[in-house]
Amino acid sequence: MICRKDGGLYNRSMGALNDFWLGLQEFGQFLPILMMITGVVIGIMVGVLPGLSPSIGVALMLPVTFGLDAISALVLLVSVYLASNYGGSITAIAINTPGTPGAVATTFDGYELTKKGKPLYALMTSLTASTVGGLVGTIILILFSVPLAKIALSFESYEYFALGVFGLTIISSLAGKSPLKGFIASGIGLLLVTIGFDTQLPFSRFSMGIPQLAEGVEFIPALIGLFALAEIFYRIEKGDHIQPKEAARVDLSQTIPVKQLVKLKNVMLRSSVIGTLVGCIPGAGGTIATFIAYDSAKNASKHPGEFGKGSLEGVAAPEAANNGSVGGALVPLLTLGIPGSASTAVLLGALMIHKLNPGPELFSKEPGLVYGVFISLFFANIFMFFVGLLGNKLWIKIIAAPKSLLYPLILALSFIGSYFIQNSVFDVGVCIAFGIMGWLLKRGDFPTAPVVLGLILGKMIEENLRLSLVKGDWTDFFTRPGSLIIIALAVVSLFLPYLKKKLIKIAK
Amino acid sequence: MSTKHYIAGLVIILYLGLLGYLYSGIGREAAYPSKPITIVVHSKPGSAIDFMARKTAAIAKKYSKVPFVVENCPGTQGVVAMQHVIDSKADGYTMLGVTKSFLSTLIVNKSKVNLDDFRFIANMISDPEAIIASRKRNLLTLKDVIKDANSGKTQVWIGPGTGSRDHLMALTTWKTLGIDNVKWIDYKSGPQSVLAIMRNEAAIYVGNPADIKGKTGLNIIAIASKQRLPALPDVATFKEQGYNLDESMWRGFALKRGVPDEAVKYLTSVLQKVVNDKDWKLYCNETYVFSNFEDEAQFTRRIHREVKNTKHYLNKAGLLVEYVKKSRLPLSIVFLIITAGMFLLLLAINRFRIRFVEYSQWVAGGIMSVALFFFYQTTLFQIPDEINITSPALIPELWIVVLVVLCLMLIFTEMNKPETEQVSDIKTVWIVIALLFAYLVFMQWAGYYLTTPLFILAAMYVLKYRKTAFMITGSFGFVLFSYLVFNLLLHIDLPQGWWFI
Repeated sequence: MICRKDGGLYNRSMGALNDFWLGLQEFGQFLPILMMITGVVIGIMVGVLPGLSPSIGVALMLPVTFGLDAISALVLLVSVYLASNYGGSITAIAINTPGTPGAVATTFDGYELTKKGKPLYALMTSLTASTVGGLVGTIILILFSVPLAKIALSFESYEYFALGVFGLTIISSLAGKSPLKGFIASGIGLLLVTIGFDTQLPFSRFSMGIPQLAEGVEFIPALIGLFALAEIFYRIEKGDHIQPKEAARVDLSQTIPVKQLVKLKNVMLRSSVIGTLVGCIPGAGGTIATFIAYDSAKNASKHPGEFGKGSLEGVAAPEAANNGSVGGALVPLLTLGIPGSASTAVLLGALMIHKLNPGPELFSKEPGLVYGVFISLFFANIFMFFVGLLGNKLWIKIIAAPKSLLYPLILALSFIGSYFIQNSVFDVGVCIAFGIMGWLLKRGDFPTAPVVLGLILGKMIEENLRLSLVKGDWTDFFTRPGSLIIIALAVVSLFLPYLKKKLIKIAK
Repeated sequence: MSTKHYIAGLVIILYLGLLGYLYSGIGREAAYPSKPITIVVHSKPGSAIDFMARKTAAIAKKYSKVPFVVENCPGTQGVVAMQHVIDSKADGYTMLGVTKSFLSTLIVNKSKVNLDDFRFIANMISDPEAIIASRKRNLLTLKDVIKDANSGKTQVWIGPGTGSRDHLMALTTWKTLGIDNVKWIDYKSGPQSVLAIMRNEAAIYVGNPADIKGKTGLNIIAIASKQRLPALPDVATFKEQGYNLDESMWRGFALKRGVPDEAVKYLTSVLQKVVNDKDWKLYCNETYVFSNFEDEAQFTRRIHREVKNTKHYLNKAGLLVEYVKKSRLPLSIVFLIITAGMFLLLLAINRFRIRFVEYSQWVAGGIMSVALFFFYQTTLFQIPDEINITSPALIPELWIVVLVVLCLMLIFTEMNKPETEQVSDIKTVWIVIALLFAYLVFMQWAGYYLTTPLFILAAMYVLKYRKTAFMITGSFGFVLFSYLVFNLLLHIDLPQGWWFI
């Protein structure tokens, strides 16, 4: 909450209640509620389709909002943003194709569960975790947006660099059987992401005169290739598509695992908080949050060995973080007027079009609107849960279809998904190339997840390292408390899995 | 005949109906305009130019017989979008959103695209450049800025991009104010630059007036326009403070050269009506820009004048040099040599018996070849000494060294490992990959709607699926589904193929 100028404690809490009441009045009308419902349904669809990321989904809905009043417009866009973050996990679990970048980490355990014939467990966990994450993120947004905005503002290039390095240490928990192969895989991602414009000079590195490569490899086609295509190629090679039906059976009579879900409450809450915190740092965003949440869930788990083999905790953690990041991303947007991600950049534009200036002024001038959006987020989460419940029945049926029927359709969907991001045929080629690369790596037991991590973090590390060196020198990374703390966390996270193993051995 | 056969039949009928509908207009010349007009924008959604295009489309609805739709073609600072427009037919149905930044893009990128490929039909907006500081700095007027710059410590100016409009504005301002103890730091993105100036990390941020909207703690020192903005009556211009500087970002529309005059006339008149609309005036006021309509003649004159200026400043900033030497051997040959060397190395390690080379070793060798190929390219970088930054080769070389060391470790640890026999059907995988590439090539000729069902059917056949009814429902049904979702619901056009354009 932003306190008014007249601020005593009494006044402030009364003001907040009053704002809340105003918000309820703004939101509780026919049109905003209709827009919330529309937004959630469209958002889930956007998430499910590979290639349609949350930011593209929000942008596609933007022209629709021109004809709406401000609250309905914002409710529509925020609902699409929220629900698309959940929708991405459905295809991640069902067919190993992250529908959005934020769902990459969900494939690690979600798809494993599907392979074991338990897709409903994974889908229910992801739905519940997304809802919990979204609700926690909303609550944090309402209660702590001002102090969080201060943290977001204090992040300089030094801290971004440290965060990038911290992200890299997560490889040690993604690597699987051979850490060496895991590190090599992340090196591939880090090297490939240096293709494109230099971070300080206007020239393109390693693009070999190919104009489409001048700005580097487009992320989403690469992602679709590495996950969807590579997995299909690998399964075809293993003869998965000609297996008798019984072998690939999906248990359609599964019931909702309520007890197991309740057990996951700690993982979900912790990951939601991680998601919200990382989400509020402009430019870091939800995808990095999902990896950090996955890593911390594994480190804290009683059964770290199950991670990567179908752990429910491994599904809950990234999904809670991903939807928690939505509330987080709204913090710098609403309090500082700074868009922290591509999706919030579109939201900023929508605010401007409706003659609203995000920033401290917004809270004092339009409290009803701000709180109306908060309340809509709350209800959108709950509504999303019920739509998701209905949807799960449909997804299970799709998963149960014969693979030889399903694979060609997924290939066609991946094709169109990588095409329309930039209407570029070249991107489809990128998708196929990464599919072949991912398959060749998989055959040799190289994990593909670290490649994605390298692609995500490489730019952040290089850009901020070089910006820091232009501003100052190496020592700044260790004299600034923020970056020092994150670097310390990175060192701990790198060695924790090994230390834990050692300690267990000693104890035995 | 069972239900599934009826469904399959129905799907085929619907598909044929869709084809007929999609391709029925071909060959028939209707009077212009007879279909929606696409506005191609060079950024991702949400940018200033994207908003202008969308606002134009929304207002144009009142004045045009056909709707305007916005298509985003991001990439290489506009080159991709410009190329896209050049590749489309000169029929007046594709309009390009243009901004002043295109001038530097074309000069710096040395691309094949030329300004003469376009007709710049309407300038819509003038967005004045502004210099902005944190309130904590006490830089209220240009005099303060000059005094601060001459106080001994290097004054840091920031903004997004090197060679960008904001960077050039900084260079122009330094010359106009006569200050030289200054430095430009590129903060990559607009939001990151604004955050930095909110933290008071640098003296001056170069941007546009709208950047301070809703934010506290920032003040605009001066805007580079002829008059004050109506929405910001307290902000003084450069001219009022005694310095003659007029630098604005403009945004407008262009068409491919060769578009019939009839279409140019129609679009110009629609755009002129848009600018005169009261909603447009409101939009300009809200986003702190001037509504500034210029017709083709005025707009073209402006561009010719500004190209000269841009070249001058880019040259002065040392941004027109070649940063990469030409390779003596063609890059493909270099890659082949490296790969061949790697092949020999792997053989040598395994005592020249090809059967002994493990699969993981092949993969590691392949990765090393690529890494070394990248290393060769870093040796071609040449950065002038006066540019004081860390070398662009530093980080790539770091990753290359790490990769090479790790791959060598892997090659040696994987030696003589017993091979485990596994089910493996590589042939089918390669057939599927070949099908994908064939699909990619043929789609560009024959269009999405014709090739997609063929690809899906072929892939199902290769994977040994044989239930005809489901094959037909799946493949043709998928096309119907993608038409419904992408075309109708999300307004994304799928390619209809060169044959039919």
